Amino acid sequence: MARVPTGLRNFAILLLIWEIAGRMDLVASGALPGFSEILIRLWEDRADYPRHIWATLYASGVGFLIGNAIALIAGVAFAMSPTLLRIFRGVNIAVFALPPIAIAPILVLTLSDMAPRIVLAALAVYFVTMTATVIGISQSDNRASDLVKAYGGSRWRILWLVQLRSALPTITTGFQIAAPNAVLGAILAEFGGGGRWGLGTYLLGSLGRGEPDRLWGIGLIATAIAGLGYLFFALISRRLLGATRAVTLNTATPLGDAVSASPFKRVLMLMGIVSLPFLLWWAFIVLTGVPAMIAKTPFGVIDYLLFAKTAPVAQEKLLQALSETLPITFAGMAAGIGFAFLLAISTRLFPNAIRAFMPVALVTQTMPLVALTPLLVLIFGRGTSLTLWVTISVTFFPAFVTLAQGIALVPRSAQDLPRAYGASAWQEMRIVTIPASLPYLFAATRLTVPRALLGVMIAEWLATGRGLGNLLNQSRGYLDFGMIWTVAFVSVLLSVVLYQLVVAIERKVLRRLGMQTAE
Amino acid sequence: MPTPDGISLSGVYKTFEGRGKTVEALRDVALKCPSASFTAVIGPSGCGKSTALRIALGLETADAGEVLINGEAPIVAAKSGKTGVAFQDSALLPWRSVRRNVEVPLEVIGLSRKSHAAQVQAMIELVGLKGFENSLPGELSGGMRQRVAIARALVTEPTVLFMDEPFGALDQILRRQMNVELQRVWQKTGSTALLVTHGIDEAIFLADRVAVMHANPGRIVEIIDVPFARPRHPDLFSDPAFHALTDRVASVLHG
Ligand SMILES: Nc1ncnc2c1ncn2[C@@H]1O[C@H](COP(=O)(O)OP(=O)(O)OP(=O)(O)O)[C@@H](O)[C@H]1O
Ligand SMILES: [Mg+2]
Repeated sequence: MARVPTGLRNFAILLLIWEIAGRMDLVASGALPGFSEILIRLWEDRADYPRHIWATLYASGVGFLIGNAIALIAGVAFAMSPTLLRIFRGVNIAVFALPPIAIAPILVLTLSDMAPRIVLAALAVYFVTMTATVIGISQSDNRASDLVKAYGGSRWRILWLVQLRSALPTITTGFQIAAPNAVLGAILAEFGGGGRWGLGTYLLGSLGRGEPDRLWGIGLIATAIAGLGYLFFALISRRLLGATRAVTLNTATPLGDAVSASPFKRVLMLMGIVSLPFLLWWAFIVLTGVPAMIAKTPFGVIDYLLFAKTAPVAQEKLLQALSETLPITFAGMAAGIGFAFLLAISTRLFPNAIRAFMPVALVTQTMPLVALTPLLVLIFGRGTSLTLWVTISVTFFPAFVTLAQGIALVPRSAQDLPRAYGASAWQEMRIVTIPASLPYLFAATRLTVPRALLGVMIAEWLATGRGLGNLLNQSRGYLDFGMIWTVAFVSVLLSVVLYQLVVAIERKVLRRLGMQTAE
Repeated sequence: MPTPDGISLSGVYKTFEGRGKTVEALRDVALKCPSASFTAVIGPSGCGKSTALRIALGLETADAGEVLINGEAPIVAAKSGKTGVAFQDSALLPWRSVRRNVEVPLEVIGLSRKSHAAQVQAMIELVGLKGFENSLPGELSGGMRQRVAIARALVTEPTVLFMDEPFGALDQILRRQMNVELQRVWQKTGSTALLVTHGIDEAIFLADRVAVMHANPGRIVEIIDVPFARPRHPDLFSDPAFHALTDRVASVLHG
């Protein structure tokens, strides 16, 4: 009971600090206006908002519906057939890891009107809901299933009567996390081009005008929409569960683990897993019927990058961009996760401070953080430090939440043991807390790899004019279709490869230590 | 003056301020465990057994009262390696091998692992786990894990041994086996032992004295002497005198 008022109190203190800092122009000479100034500006701009809000709401709403419908169907199919789940492993990882900003230009090229935004919003919700569905169904009560079976119920009847029902709370939790994701997806598509309306468009349009209070107002509205979406499903899920669940960001449980099969079958499966995303890419182009000049198939990209006359130039540009993007991605991610790790393990040292910080960290989980990059531009300018800060801010919070929740799971007796021998706080940390948090460190890294790349690319696209994000934005201007597709492909590939790398290292290290991977 | 060795709790009070309600976990608890004696504490769930033990270990501070371990404050005794402890669940660190788990107390009190390698090995062998030194806890049975916890509790050659339901998770047969082993090990080391348990027969089989607690407020209502000669044989479990004493403790416990 005591927790809610404490959280509210901290929130009020935060608002007060914000107001004072804003009024006195303490942050980057006025880049952060006072809270009341933002509200006043919101009121002055009130005529502009409805159409922008509606455009974003429409795209994210329709995307949310479509994405979740596909995710539910896929989730049920995957839960019924592990083979199917395994074959789609490549597709699922790609959808999880892809930086939305990288494929936004492609969608704008191949689809029209609101469709790109809807697709990106749908992609942003698919993975979360699909995962929740698979987990929910596979964790449903076996005894209840057996009962229906004993009365001669068919597999579908069991699914309907028992499994889907008992999976409902998990699925609603999925919706809960998916709702802010949809808003983020829609806004990123708006960044990515096209259209007059939408909060993302409004944000970009106002960025050049040097009006911090308006930018912050738009950011506030976007955050509020995402937060309300979250809250809406949180309330439903509380109804269903009788209690709320913590915001847990399930990364990648049901991707289908390799089972012991003959080497031949395994190679065949691997080929299927890898080639399916490319098949879908190819099918997408055929179905949209966009001319080959604009829409590149996998072969088109290979040709552009390796065999065409312009290939050497393209390669050079790409390598140059990569050499700018990669180091800062790693640096930002390392800093974000490292800071989260330090803060989370010091829970044992300053329990009260961390407990006060936790609600703030949880709230950020419902915020479309990367979409707020224009606000950071105001504070940090357009240099490398901006990229670094965007990346740190999008990696730090999810990593902290994952780590702090993991460390809270360490049993009391394991912590009491060194203390019973008079261990110092540092000894306790070295012997228990740090090793125990290792699985969560990996889980956090897995979770943040794609976000780090996304953060860097957004900053590059919107502000710094360097790296992959900038190359993508430039190619849009030059109508260099080959490059647009190539950058999109390379960024998705990069994200997937980095993700898989973390998974491989995680498996190796944890197996060696006899630990389970954390979800 | 009597010798200050052993465990001495006197006038210990502890109240927890919960959310809207307060729990008086301990009221005026006094318990003297003479050197090299074995004392068992038994009582209903939630009566404050673990709290008393945690206060004796210095993990929790009492509101009032005095705790002395071999005449010293609990923290001082702990840091000098005079205490050993085994918790309810075995509390092994799952990422450490059996040997590395047993070494934890040595690491904490700052003794070199190298120079105590023989001692670690001896403890592992004492609890019958020779050959499992490099196994991870996940690869052991429940009983083996509890034995690792006992080995770990003994590795600093403590003069005072605390155990909070060390066999709580085990089935009846294994539990009796472990009781017999614990008696053997304890007699070998000659330490002062304090055992918290739910099992009446376990308490009587192992202890020289059984302290019976009641809840709300948590307090010791009676301390019952156990006269059986040592070493006690498992046949004792079916002895009529044993059953008579069991009934006696049960009537105090439920009375
Ligand atoms: N940290 C704490 N905060 C609040 N109340 C506590 C705390 N620790 C124990 N209590 C309360 O003190 C009482 C005694 O708890 P304790 O753990 O000592 O019981 P116990 O006798 O060991 O029970 P069990 O046999 O179930 O282990 C209980 O009512 C418990 O709720
Ligand atoms: Mg207890």
